[in-house]
Amino acid sequence: MTVATAPQVVAHPGRPLLTASDVHRHFEGLHAVDGVSIEVPPGRITGLIGPNGAGKSTFLAVLAGTLPATGGTIVFDGADVTRYPAFRRAREGLVRTFQLPSEFARLTVLENLLVAAPNNRGDSLFGALMGRRYWIDDERRIVRRARSLLQRFGMSGKESDYAGNMSGGQKRLIEIMRALMLEPRLLLLDEPMSGVHPKIVLEIQRYLQDLRAEGMTILMVEHELHMVERLCDSVVVMAQGKVIGSGTMASLRRQREIVDAYLVG
Amino acid sequence: MNTYYAANLLVYAGVDIIACLALNLQFGVSGIVNFSFIVFQAVGAYTAAVLSLPPDSANGGFQIYFGGYQMPFPIPWVGGAIAGGLLAIPVGMVVLRKLRSDYQAIALLVLSIITNEVITNARPFLNGAAGLALVPPPLSDQIDPNTDAYQYLYVALTAVCVVLVFIVVNRVVNSPYGRSMRAMREREIAAMAIGKNPVQIKMTVFIVGGVIAGLSGAILVGFIQLWAPSVWLYPETIILFAAIIVGGRGNNTGAILGALLVPVGFEEATRFIPTSFGPPGLVPALQWVAIGLLIIGFLWFRPDGVRPEPRHVFEGAPVQEDG
Repeated sequence: MTVATAPQVVAHPGRPLLTASDVHRHFEGLHAVDGVSIEVPPGRITGLIGPNGAGKSTFLAVLAGTLPATGGTIVFDGADVTRYPAFRRAREGLVRTFQLPSEFARLTVLENLLVAAPNNRGDSLFGALMGRRYWIDDERRIVRRARSLLQRFGMSGKESDYAGNMSGGQKRLIEIMRALMLEPRLLLLDEPMSGVHPKIVLEIQRYLQDLRAEGMTILMVEHELHMVERLCDSVVVMAQGKVIGSGTMASLRRQREIVDAYLVG
Repeated sequence: MNTYYAANLLVYAGVDIIACLALNLQFGVSGIVNFSFIVFQAVGAYTAAVLSLPPDSANGGFQIYFGGYQMPFPIPWVGGAIAGGLLAIPVGMVVLRKLRSDYQAIALLVLSIITNEVITNARPFLNGAAGLALVPPPLSDQIDPNTDAYQYLYVALTAVCVVLVFIVVNRVVNSPYGRSMRAMREREIAAMAIGKNPVQIKMTVFIVGGVIAGLSGAILVGFIQLWAPSVWLYPETIILFAAIIVGGRGNNTGAILGALLVPVGFEEATRFIPTSFGPPGLVPALQWVAIGLLIIGFLWFRPDGVRPEPRHVFEGAPVQEDG
């Protein structure tokens, strides 16, 4: 993983899974993302850090398409997805989670996972009108997969509870599981540990390490630097909408301007 | 209770059930606050009327309208349903694509008011404020509408439509597609982030709801044989919303219960209040006050309604400790 401030992009060995070039996002006069260029290599966890207001979450939203870019290009696995709406990027495997819990509160935990699963014949008006027999095989397959995820994340006993009744940490897990149901090729996590009980933080950390071991590519916004150090193979530092550095945490700690800007203490 | 009164009550109940099932799909399941619902019922009714009426030169030319095709049953009913769906396309394209849900509600309310005003004042189109009268009842050329048998037939036809609509909405609501609708209702941006296209889902729901609303209007106009702007003022939509809120948002049987409790039961019950006291119009005005209080009361004390949306528990789920 390498990054640089726009417009240069430092090359990496192997083809990057995602390349953002000179990406901008302006709100009226505010340049929340101001010419950011990064490359995300496959099979690694890349951290995105920076002070509050650095534009990290905005950048993540622009990558996922939940906010359109004002300028620049985003190439995902060789395809220019800059103009794709969010739902299409998700279908392509570019899946995000949110900074604030975004569970579907009045759906059960299991339904929160099922709803994300692609390739269900009942998930269209035609399929629905054809009746249960038309889609039940898909549904059973998806339920099996969702249950195996729930088991892996230790939430099997909660599958029939409303997601809105879960704790903050459990909602985070639901969101990660929901994203995994889409079989993402790149998982964009927006502060997955924030507001979470320390015990669940450790669980999330373990799950993310497991996912990396399985070859999942993750780009993660995170404030907790020790967590970033433990989890991330490389880190991008943003401040005031720009990338101010990149590399491993150890190398970043040696860069005076980055330490001054963000890593103090 | 004579046959006519019973048939009247049952047909109205059927029409209200159909309308509430459609509105429940839009509002209860998908979260679309369609304050112009009554317009879709009205367009179905007008379409069925002009498809079944003779040309406006008939009957001494006392009313002016376009069309007058004298189509046989069931074409007017099918036409009414199609018209409701067709109207949903441009309205949905304008309202549902860009606006936030609260602004959608306002835009749809305004649409309802504007449409009613336009039809009221543009007389050559659908006979203005006087509306369309002498709409031929379905199959009236084969069975005398002024017989008990015809009343039973009309109730049966309405019941068939109720069953069909119930099957359709039940299939949709209880399918994976219905789950996507509920997810969109809960958090649209998160639904989008997992690959759902909210505009497509909303448009589909809006069109399906429009078709069903149009059918309900077609059934009603065939029975009461007249249709005028005064019967589809925007507060009629509020009554249907009250029914959904009372019955239970997101629950089809709740929508049926709400239709029986509010537009049918509540309105029928208040009809028997003596009108001899107070100034003229006091009791009808109090009916509206009562509807408002009913909505507020339920939202305050029982927001999920009499029959809340069911929790979907899947086969083989671990036993839950709580209900």
